[in-house]
Amino acid sequence: MVNPKYYKYTMPRLSLYRPNRTRDYQFLDRTIREMYTVGGLDIYIHRYMGPQAGGNDSTLSGNFDATQPTYADVDVLNIQDLLLLENRDRIYDPDVYVMRGVYNTQDVDFDLTQFGLFLNNDTIFMTFHYNTMIDTFGRKLMNGDVIEIPNLTDYHPLNQNIPRALPRYYVIQDADFASEGFSQTWLPHLWRVKCTPMKDQQEFNTITNKPFVAENIWDPGNFYPTGSIVNYGDTYYQAQSNVPADTDITNTTFWQEYTPSTISDVQGTREKDYEINDAILAQADAEVPLSGYDNQTFYIEPTINGEPANPTNITADETITVDGTQGGMSVTPSGEGYAAGYLTGGGTAPNGLPVTSAVNFPPNPVAGTYVLRLDYKPNRLFRYDGARWVKVDDKVRTNLNNGPTNKTLRSGFVNNTATVNTKDLGNIPSRQSLSEILRPRADNGDQGGFLPPGT
Amino acid sequence: MQQFFYDAQIRRFLLQFTRIFSGFQIEYANENDGVNAAALIRVPVRYGDATRNAQTIIQENSRNSLPSTPLMTFYITGLDYEQSRMQDPYFVSKINVRQQAYDPATETYETTQGNAFTIERLMPVPFKLTINLDIWTSNTNQKLQLLEQVLTLFNPSLEIQSTDNYIDWTSLSVMYLDRTTWSSRTVPIGTENPIDIATLQFSMPIWLSPPAKVLKLGVIERVIASMYDAQGDLNNAIDNEDLLMGTRQVITPFDYAAVLIGNKLQCLQQQYLSQEPGNDTLTPTDIVPDSNLLWPAVIDLYGSLRPGISQIRLIQPDETEIVGTVALDPNDDRFLLFNVDIDTTPQNTLDPIDAVINPLTAGPQDGLDSAVDGQRYLLTEDTGSLDNSNPATAWVGANGRGLVAQANDIIQYSNNYWRVVFRAATETNTTQYVTNLTTSIQYRWIGDAWVKSYQGAYPGGTWRIVL
Repeated sequence: MVNPKYYKYTMPRLSLYRPNRTRDYQFLDRTIREMYTVGGLDIYIHRYMGPQAGGNDSTLSGNFDATQPTYADVDVLNIQDLLLLENRDRIYDPDVYVMRGVYNTQDVDFDLTQFGLFLNNDTIFMTFHYNTMIDTFGRKLMNGDVIEIPNLTDYHPLNQNIPRALPRYYVIQDADFASEGFSQTWLPHLWRVKCTPMKDQQEFNTITNKPFVAENIWDPGNFYPTGSIVNYGDTYYQAQSNVPADTDITNTTFWQEYTPSTISDVQGTREKDYEINDAILAQADAEVPLSGYDNQTFYIEPTINGEPANPTNITADETITVDGTQGGMSVTPSGEGYAAGYLTGGGTAPNGLPVTSAVNFPPNPVAGTYVLRLDYKPNRLFRYDGARWVKVDDKVRTNLNNGPTNKTLRSGFVNNTATVNTKDLGNIPSRQSLSEILRPRADNGDQGGFLPPGT
Repeated sequence: MQQFFYDAQIRRFLLQFTRIFSGFQIEYANENDGVNAAALIRVPVRYGDATRNAQTIIQENSRNSLPSTPLMTFYITGLDYEQSRMQDPYFVSKINVRQQAYDPATETYETTQGNAFTIERLMPVPFKLTINLDIWTSNTNQKLQLLEQVLTLFNPSLEIQSTDNYIDWTSLSVMYLDRTTWSSRTVPIGTENPIDIATLQFSMPIWLSPPAKVLKLGVIERVIASMYDAQGDLNNAIDNEDLLMGTRQVITPFDYAAVLIGNKLQCLQQQYLSQEPGNDTLTPTDIVPDSNLLWPAVIDLYGSLRPGISQIRLIQPDETEIVGTVALDPNDDRFLLFNVDIDTTPQNTLDPIDAVINPLTAGPQDGLDSAVDGQRYLLTEDTGSLDNSNPATAWVGANGRGLVAQANDIIQYSNNYWRVVFRAATETNTTQYVTNLTTSIQYRWIGDAWVKSYQGAYPGGTWRIVL
């Protein structure tokens, strides 16, 4: 047993742990902050503020429901889609925050295996001084925040016409206290984030949709050479000629409003993907302009009662050259003959003969005349045989590109811009989703009714 | 070394594969958010197995490039021979086509006939082409939007064409959706939020074909064989009920008469027949102008006249038939143009004569041409007499040699005098044929008189139509 008289000389229990932020913590924290100031680099941070508020996204597809609430304000606590638990239309703070951070540089392979097309192996870990982060940013960095690392800016992209250097964006995937950031007091001083490269995707549209031009605020006292781009407020202007000093920005002789390319346009691959896609479509369209088969260049022998009618009264024994002047040359083929087949009806007459397009038959027709009736669906080609209009074929060949020119059965349901007139809602769209069909909708005035008559 | 050929057959299917999935849109941003201009964007489609070089160029040779989503990429995962679809590898399909004439100056086709070809196509080789389509999306909502639009295309399949060439019998195929892999992500989500990939696997039965042969079209202008009977007789074959052609209708309509006038046939009612000279005379037949009986009115009762194919058969006294194909006279429906089959007409047994003459009323340089060696005439009257010391001067030859001939004799001028080369009085038991070069009418000697051979009038029952 210890003699109580020695108590006064007993040292306090040794413990560096502090449950509260004492002066030790403050000292260490200031020291660490200074270390980050001295040794770290500026990191630009695009702050995630929450999903789009007041949007009307779902009405485009008619699937508005309670799981996709319309929020009054942008709030980081909101979730856009309560079923799929996604925040697709994210709002980022237009202001960019700057903080010092530290990360380990690394070598990254340009991996093009199937899932490497999007460079998923480029993952970096970065630490920030915690209290600086809270002071500057107002909250901890979190998943969805986007950081921009200035020392990785690429000043030499392949396309030298790109107007400015390409910044390197990362998205924070995970965040927590850094294990190396705990001081002797066991209190954390660092915030560690795990980042992967940002993609040009819907979630970051408010970032990538910004103009990709150097900030150049208009100064009326400056001289601007031709082609200069300046911004005045949120509007960009381009100099049409050399602009003398003291020229007002509203002077259209010198300045014209300019719509700059966006970050997505320049730094994203979508525009190039479109070019590639369009080139493929152009060639595909050239090789198969219409569905089915092209028999328009074939020559079909006109016949009468099953015998060649063109020309008449010439036998194989004769040495006459058929030159179009012989009898029977005006007889037209009654059909596609040997060139008929699956999906060959193109609404054109055999042998390239003229066709009249109409919604009714012409009066007093001449035998052999062709008429394409446009009021038939599909359009139907007829030939007058002297007594009656005989069907030749239906115009069933169609453009195969997805869109209104595609006249397939499915496309007729999808690419349907027609409207139906009603007594109370004006013209409503003919195309409606089965789940919503004929139901009165509160937004009929905007989307469902009072539309201009369709075709 | 084998000649190089490459028709980009698989490549063309890839082009059309791209087309099928192009043009789809998704909602990309809020319409009314005041920030984003576009609410819908098109989803690009491209080949997924890009080379590193091409992909580097697409991404500006910069890690700072931002890969864009949504995106659809595709790549071939299999090309396997399909034994089950194999057909006769040695089969050659032939197709005959005629093209419209092409004007290279205007680069357009005209309405008249141009080249004609026979195309020979060797049996193509069956393969199963498997293609994966990756749908890259950054959130589930995008994926649902895309899949709902894409998947309605396949119920259960979708046709795909590599070309619209009518001759290409391998261009049409069909795409089957074999399998869908919902996501490349782990579920639930791990420590990262990678781009999601849904994979649709499609299979297509395709054919790979060697080049075709293009040959100039061979046209059968005249059928020589296969229409004769066992004895090689076409006309008998036509009437032979055992043969295909024996199904024809044989008609003698309404007891009408037919008159062969040169190469024309006129149809007559019996009462008009008296206006024609008898066949037992040498007088040529002539048109009966009073008759308005038209051939179409006769023939249409039984069927259609097929010009150059339909026949009229003229029955001779010896029951043989003179056969000829007929066509309607384009200028006068009262007549048929009669193209006689010379194999059915009697062969001349005598050299042709220049004319039928009356020696009592005409002679050389007196209504006839000057006498020339080889000239031959058929006489209708007697001339000269052995008892006559002064022969007919018109027919006197060299050295005052006279001509003594009787009616129906044929005389010929040779060695500067006229002589009898066919003496009728001595030919009472023979049958002879000779053609008059002036009228082209053939005559037959029946032992006591010359008659028209087959030209002339044919009363009802002595001719028939074969349509």
